[in-house]
Amino acid sequence: MHGIISAGIIGIGLGAQYALLALGFTLIFGVLGVVNFAHGGFYVLGGYVGYWAVSSAGLPYPVAVLAAVVATAALGYLFELVFVERFVDEQLATMMLTVGLYLVMSTGVLAGFGPEPADFAFPVTGSWHGGGFFIPWANLIVLGVCVLAIAAVYLVLYRTDLGRALRALADDRPVARAQGIRPHLLFPLAFALATGLAGLTGAVVTPILTLSPHVGDSVLATSFMVVILGGLGSVTGSTVAAFVVGLIEAYSDVYLGGSKGALALFLLVLLILIAKPSGLFGREARRA
Amino acid sequence: MTGRRRGRLVGAAEITALLLCVVAFATPWLTHNLFVLSVINQILIATMAAYSVHVMLRMNLLSFAVPAFMAMGGFAGALVAKHGGTNVLLVGGVSFLVPALIALPLGILILRLRGVYFVLVTYIFSEILQLLLFETPHLTGGSNGISGIPAATFLAQSFSSSAAVLQIAAGLALVATVVTAALCQWCEQPFAAIDENETLAASLGLVIWRFKALGFVVAAGLAGLAGLSLVLMLLTAHPSSFSPLSSVNYITYAIVGGRASILGPAVGSALLVFAGNIFSSQGEYSPGFFGVLILLVVFIARGGITGAVHTLWSRRRKQPASLAASTKLQDLA
Repeated sequence: MHGIISAGIIGIGLGAQYALLALGFTLIFGVLGVVNFAHGGFYVLGGYVGYWAVSSAGLPYPVAVLAAVVATAALGYLFELVFVERFVDEQLATMMLTVGLYLVMSTGVLAGFGPEPADFAFPVTGSWHGGGFFIPWANLIVLGVCVLAIAAVYLVLYRTDLGRALRALADDRPVARAQGIRPHLLFPLAFALATGLAGLTGAVVTPILTLSPHVGDSVLATSFMVVILGGLGSVTGSTVAAFVVGLIEAYSDVYLGGSKGALALFLLVLLILIAKPSGLFGREARRA
Repeated sequence: MTGRRRGRLVGAAEITALLLCVVAFATPWLTHNLFVLSVINQILIATMAAYSVHVMLRMNLLSFAVPAFMAMGGFAGALVAKHGGTNVLLVGGVSFLVPALIALPLGILILRLRGVYFVLVTYIFSEILQLLLFETPHLTGGSNGISGIPAATFLAQSFSSSAAVLQIAAGLALVATVVTAALCQWCEQPFAAIDENETLAASLGLVIWRFKALGFVVAAGLAGLAGLSLVLMLLTAHPSSFSPLSSVNYITYAIVGGRASILGPAVGSALLVFAGNIFSSQGEYSPGFFGVLILLVVFIARGGITGAVHTLWSRRRKQPASLAASTKLQDLA
């Protein structure tokens, strides 16, 4: 019983991280119709900006996290404005552009920081213990930050004019445009919001996991799985799916071991994609 | 729509691609430089894998499943060479047929997906196959892979040297070029119709799934041949040789080279593999170089290198014609 609860706590922590990642990914697809292959790159960049701000600029960790969010959001905004905007209705072109950006970003990080994992440690150590459980404070703080960020995203999307405009663009772009919503102003903002979320995840999660130039590959695969499961473009679906994936991963790690859990998860996602491309929870947000 | 081309069967692009394979086959008689032989071998492997991407792109489908099919072809070839026979025709045939046969039922399931959903399903498929390779050690050797693969043979001759392995790769590339050219010529109109507007093509009576399935099966077989060549070059079949993200490389080769002609994958592979080797001391930076090239191609030359050359060539041919016409008008005036 103790093991089941421990694995569950780990799974919820993982789920919160995945939700934060997947929200950005699904937001870009939902609003722009773009599959962002560079999403993992923004996660890595966020981690390295945080690492640089702490280790080289000597900034406190919370400021470093803020710097990571601002840097990744600014880069996302610029990338959308300069590269994606022109080809926003061409799925293949935008996919190739984001693949190209990811390769450039990961190589840039490699050139700047080297191939070895960075020594980026979480500033808070120690564990909370109660009821026979030991949970590192770092994991609890990361969980708290993720939950707060998810709540903030929901607040922006469902309680602000910006969010309403973004959802209108995701629902029906021509109608939204006819209502006076200007996509060329909102697309870069949506991209910046999404990449900022990836940067935030990178800055808060990499200190408790690992930070190296190529960790973005696995992040991309995880984001794919979550958004497929939840339904591409569906914000609520992705959030729920992230926790499902986190819990499955945690339990399969404990009870199956090796890569059997990941294999089972991938097979499940493949079957869902074949049987119901719109995902378990979503409708088909955008005709692909 | 019959799908049969009513014009010439073989164009300049197809002839050039075939000639390149013949030149590659003859290279060991021209030089014994191991670096040159190795680079050409890598180019041939990349070209076969890029052909696989090219065939799918002709139907406006971006496939990330190339490494998965390469792994099937490579491991199947390695297993046959170790336990069955080393005849190059047998090993090559198995490497083409195994992924092609697996692609048939898979294609029935996934080919109704389009656009981003197809991209995602092929990516997930590559991830699954990578994990399966590790999880089935009794068949694939797991994390150790399959080593000690005997050299391929043909008519009592053993192909064990670097030069001989290159010649096998050139032979396989020649077969891959013929198969790709034949498929793209035979299905030129259906592929173009699917690329342009699948719904309209279906409403006009084109049996879409038949051509898509054919393209997918052949693309899988082509990737299988690339996988076998890779295994023969490395002398080992290892899961790490077929990582899911390596598909980005093959997609880059096909797109940078140009999607419109069969010469595109060959040119893209030759240029990028060569450049990658020239900068081999800075090998870790080659993905960044690929990334810049992708951005440039999408922005500047949508048709890739061969497309840009074709456009320039057409303009140059049109200029004298328009000059002649204007001179004629002046004379008439």
